[in-house]
Amino acid sequence: MLLRPEADDFRIIGVQLGRISLVTALAGTFPLAWALIAREWAPATSFLIMVGVFALLGTASRFIEVRHHQLEWSHGMVVVALTWLLVPAVGAIPLMFSGHYGQPLDAYFDAMSGLSTTGLALIQDLDHLAPSLNFWRHLLHFLGGQGIIIAALTLFTGSGGTTLYYGEARQERILPNVRSTARFIWKVAAYHFVIGVAALAAVTFFLLGFGVWRSLFHAVNVFFAGFDTGGFSPMSTSIGYYHSAVFEGVTAILMVAGAMSFGLHFALWRGPRLAVFKNLETRTILGTVAFTMFLTMIGLAAGGVYSNAAGLGRQAFFQVVSAHTGTGFTTVPAGELALWGGLAFGGVAIAMALGGMASSTAGGVKALRIGLTIRNLVHQIRQVLLPEGAIQSTTYYQNGIKRVTPELGQAVMTVSLLFVALFLLGAGVALGYGYGVQEALFESVSAGASVGLSVGVTEPSMPLLLKLTYIVQMWLGRLEFVAVFSLFGFLYAWARGK
Amino acid sequence: MRRICLLVLVLVGWAVPASAQTVIPVDELTGTGAVYDQTEVTVAGELVGDFGVRGDGTVWAQLNDDSYADGPLRETGTHGEGNTGIGVRFDGSLAFDLDQPGGYRWRGPIVEVTGIWHHHDADRGGESYLEATSFDLVEPARQLADPVFWPLWIIGIGLVLAAYYLYWRKNQELTPTP
Repeated sequence: MLLRPEADDFRIIGVQLGRISLVTALAGTFPLAWALIAREWAPATSFLIMVGVFALLGTASRFIEVRHHQLEWSHGMVVVALTWLLVPAVGAIPLMFSGHYGQPLDAYFDAMSGLSTTGLALIQDLDHLAPSLNFWRHLLHFLGGQGIIIAALTLFTGSGGTTLYYGEARQERILPNVRSTARFIWKVAAYHFVIGVAALAAVTFFLLGFGVWRSLFHAVNVFFAGFDTGGFSPMSTSIGYYHSAVFEGVTAILMVAGAMSFGLHFALWRGPRLAVFKNLETRTILGTVAFTMFLTMIGLAAGGVYSNAAGLGRQAFFQVVSAHTGTGFTTVPAGELALWGGLAFGGVAIAMALGGMASSTAGGVKALRIGLTIRNLVHQIRQVLLPEGAIQSTTYYQNGIKRVTPELGQAVMTVSLLFVALFLLGAGVALGYGYGVQEALFESVSAGASVGLSVGVTEPSMPLLLKLTYIVQMWLGRLEFVAVFSLFGFLYAWARGK
Repeated sequence: MRRICLLVLVLVGWAVPASAQTVIPVDELTGTGAVYDQTEVTVAGELVGDFGVRGDGTVWAQLNDDSYADGPLRETGTHGEGNTGIGVRFDGSLAFDLDQPGGYRWRGPIVEVTGIWHHHDADRGGESYLEATSFDLVEPARQLADPVFWPLWIIGIGLVLAAYYLYWRKNQELTPTP
């Protein structure tokens, strides 16, 4: 039975939201500094307002008196769900003031898309956007991908870290306590940041012939969007802008690194490295990538889209890796992607829905759930074929041998079905507005699985209800339902008044 | 017969330069690119982003022909859709008077580019781009204003000061009195 929340429950939630606001205010000083140094005065003003609002929320929350300091499971979930609504709301201030959005909801859409690492965008005239604002859009990917909660856990000590950590759709705790796990996640990000930015900057400077600062600008932004499987890009033509196979290769490595679970990063860090190939999740994702790549290539070859194997291979590889990792970078225009059709289109759409690994920045159903569903299905078939009364157990390897229990199978199936329902919801709304089945489904999967590839449905002139639907899909998809449902339960219990 | 031949020659002579000068919208090139593959086309628009000077002496840029090419959104305030652009490759010697590409501070040069359209070029891993053979500078690049709006500065500074005051006051409360 749901218990009606007391005033102290709200206070606990308020204190936590305040802490997270302070962390976000701190993050907001980076684009503010950028704008001031680059003398971009209009963006600097809007960043100052945003930092001020976040800081005010944070410092005001310090005056909240809490009697019981214990952060319970339900509090943590509600905090996480509200964080993902609050941060885009305040984080959209600079975007809104930029004048690049037709209405405030469009700016909120992009902020939610950035934070949820989706990458769908309603921005207009991106190619004339201030570099500091472009940096903020990409930094939102980094904050959402690495997890603002993780940042808060690293900076603030206190109880209840575990519930916040799990609320952010992270299934595994790598180190004995959540705080050290959070620090490890930041260490992985910092390590990749140095190598990734250096590699991308080297390519843009030496091979593509950009200037020093422009090389760094592109490298930092593409790193954030690639490693955090976001999908925003500094220019409107996405990665196609660079016209470079080498640049695409480096970006693909970053996308794969971002879609890997932090548990896998830890295993690769500490060794033995070959053991990662025993993991059910690794095997599943290798299989699904190969399968969707095969489908896409067959489709493109059958359709005669590319005249030679090199072109077909390069374009199919990049689009499938981008879709499967949940990034959303592209090297072909949205209109052209919509024309792929058939198996090629299906291959990319399936890759988007399947997603990356659990406890990574990628979205979608996730490889571990797919692997467990298949394992469970095989188990059920075997059970039927065995003599009556015979009992068999099924195990899988994921950083150690684990048992497939009926409860686990049920949980996996529930979340997978919820994702299917989420995809159908967005597709249904788009169909209602007269979009074609193929494009409605593709765009909905892209929003729900936090991918960001588009076939042209997402544009500033799309219906208001569809924008709201995609916002909800991005929110639900990123948090994988539990935190959002907890918020609804909390509000229901409060409204019921018992 | 002579008259007919003369008429055909006149018509062909008239039609060829006309077709080369017909400006093709970028949307059409990206949407039905195969139709124009390996043919000479002319596109017009703003060069934006970067002039990437490659090792072989060629330069890559992005050409946008959207509504913002005439006047960036920040300047006109007229909202349209997203940007529409294509990659343009040209010999470095063609770009001597192009100045700055378009971006936050600049409305880039407006050019009319004639060149060969490569749709899913097999030699470049399936990329689509325009290989420019000639440039006409329609309008040079120009700097955009970045006006300072003081009321917003005051609001921003006020919010930060208010936050700092609350922080200071709470710290005063927490400091034990001797």
